[in-house]
Amino acid sequence: MAPLRRKPKTIAGQEPLTIEVGDGAAIPRRKDVGMFTAWRVAFFGAIAMVLYLIFFTPDPYRNIIAFVPDGIWVTFKVTVGAILLALVIGLFAGLGRLATNRVINGIASLYVEVIRGIPLLVQLFYIYYALGRIVNIPAITSAIIAMAVCYGAYMGEIFRAGIQSIPKGQMEAARSLGMNKTQAMVHVILPQAVTVILPPIGNEFVALLKDSSLVSILAVADLLRRGREFASESFTYFETYTMVALVYLIMTLFFSKLISIMEERIRAGK
Amino acid sequence: MQANERRKMVEMKDVVKYFGSLKALDRVSLDIYDGEKMVIIGPSGSGKSTLLRSINRLEEINAGRIVVDGIDLYDPKTDINKVREEVGMVFQSFNIFPHKTVTENITLAQTVVRKRSKEEALKRAMELLRKVGIPEKNNSYPSQLSGGQQQRVAIARSLAMDPKIMLFDEPTSALDPEMIGEVLDVMKKLALEGMTMVVVTHEMGFAREVADRVIFMDYGVILEEGTPSQLFNHPTHERTKQFLSQIL
Repeated sequence: MAPLRRKPKTIAGQEPLTIEVGDGAAIPRRKDVGMFTAWRVAFFGAIAMVLYLIFFTPDPYRNIIAFVPDGIWVTFKVTVGAILLALVIGLFAGLGRLATNRVINGIASLYVEVIRGIPLLVQLFYIYYALGRIVNIPAITSAIIAMAVCYGAYMGEIFRAGIQSIPKGQMEAARSLGMNKTQAMVHVILPQAVTVILPPIGNEFVALLKDSSLVSILAVADLLRRGREFASESFTYFETYTMVALVYLIMTLFFSKLISIMEERIRAGK
Repeated sequence: MQANERRKMVEMKDVVKYFGSLKALDRVSLDIYDGEKMVIIGPSGSGKSTLLRSINRLEEINAGRIVVDGIDLYDPKTDINKVREEVGMVFQSFNIFPHKTVTENITLAQTVVRKRSKEEALKRAMELLRKVGIPEKNNSYPSQLSGGQQQRVAIARSLAMDPKIMLFDEPTSALDPEMIGEVLDVMKKLALEGMTMVVVTHEMGFAREVADRVIFMDYGVILEEGTPSQLFNHPTHERTKQFLSQIL
């Protein structure tokens, strides 16, 4: 008598253990109650410090803060422009990494591996000067492209993981109804993957905001570069970089919070 | 009815399927006729789900021939998506789209694949929801439904494509016992309307009541086939007897 053969059992609800170490700011979750979360202390502390310095030491702090706003605007433009472009690149890189077509898969994998193996600063220089040889575009545009090409690789991995997190049965159900791969992706898989993908994309946004300071090297007048210009004229290096650091801190903390609120909304609306 | 008058809906010839070195289907040949209700039984890992899933090419076979409604699935000119429009599939795990409402689940493929208008698709969705007995759930999300209700939505979603044949892959195996009946009732109704159905199931009561033909599979081979009374009351094969004694 042959025994009944069974499929290997999977234990329901048991997720593999993962450790998440982001480089974003510490964002308070619902469960962190109380006034004195690290986020609140850092955010309101930084604002209080900026105000204190402006009021009680107007020279040089008020002059610094008056000098840098157009730099903040450039930093913001670079960050938003790069993240949007990186999302598009990332979507294709992620889909490419999942493609069964060997050539497409190979190209996408190669892109991700090459980009992840080269420091961002080196890539920035390289793409900036490479683009400069081919086309004549403003420094800020090539800075945005360079940042996006780099972040697109990381974004691709996020998309890939997000798409893979959707149960296989969803694709099978869509295909069984006669949808082709693209229709199934657009209508069934990607809308579900978005909720999984959004938190890590938020982290990438904040990381990109910080990394955007690297473009100051490329004659792009962002926050850091504006600060450097002011400092070299007034010889107030310590004071200027204190202010620049505080402004970056306030921005990253602000966006971290905004993103965590968005995430909660999406999770609640699910 | 004479056998040669009946139109073949599915023709399988010497179908072989491997999973790695495991032979899931071992030269299986099987014809399914228009309007026939066929139930496939057998122990886990016997190849019955693989057989069913190969009919709409969710599983690619390694050798043999499968013809569905006159179309050879492995002819290079065949558009598999066109074939799948005509072949409904219901899964053990429902596979309802969780981000869409019940109605949207049923209208999606109608509009995207069949290119029906929104109104037309909606009308058909409501008809089908009434048929499966949950018209009041039209605006609910799947997470608000019981398993039995979700499976009935899945059946309605498949029927919305007006398929010529419906495949059921253990449709009640993931359900709590008290919900099995409501799903089987919908399937019985469908059988009475003359739908061609292939059902992999462990529900022997359903098989006795509905099936024209029952097939017993093990080791990737069809070991025995016959009418429900033949197979359940007078099994000839030793493995069939043993399996039935365990399950009944």
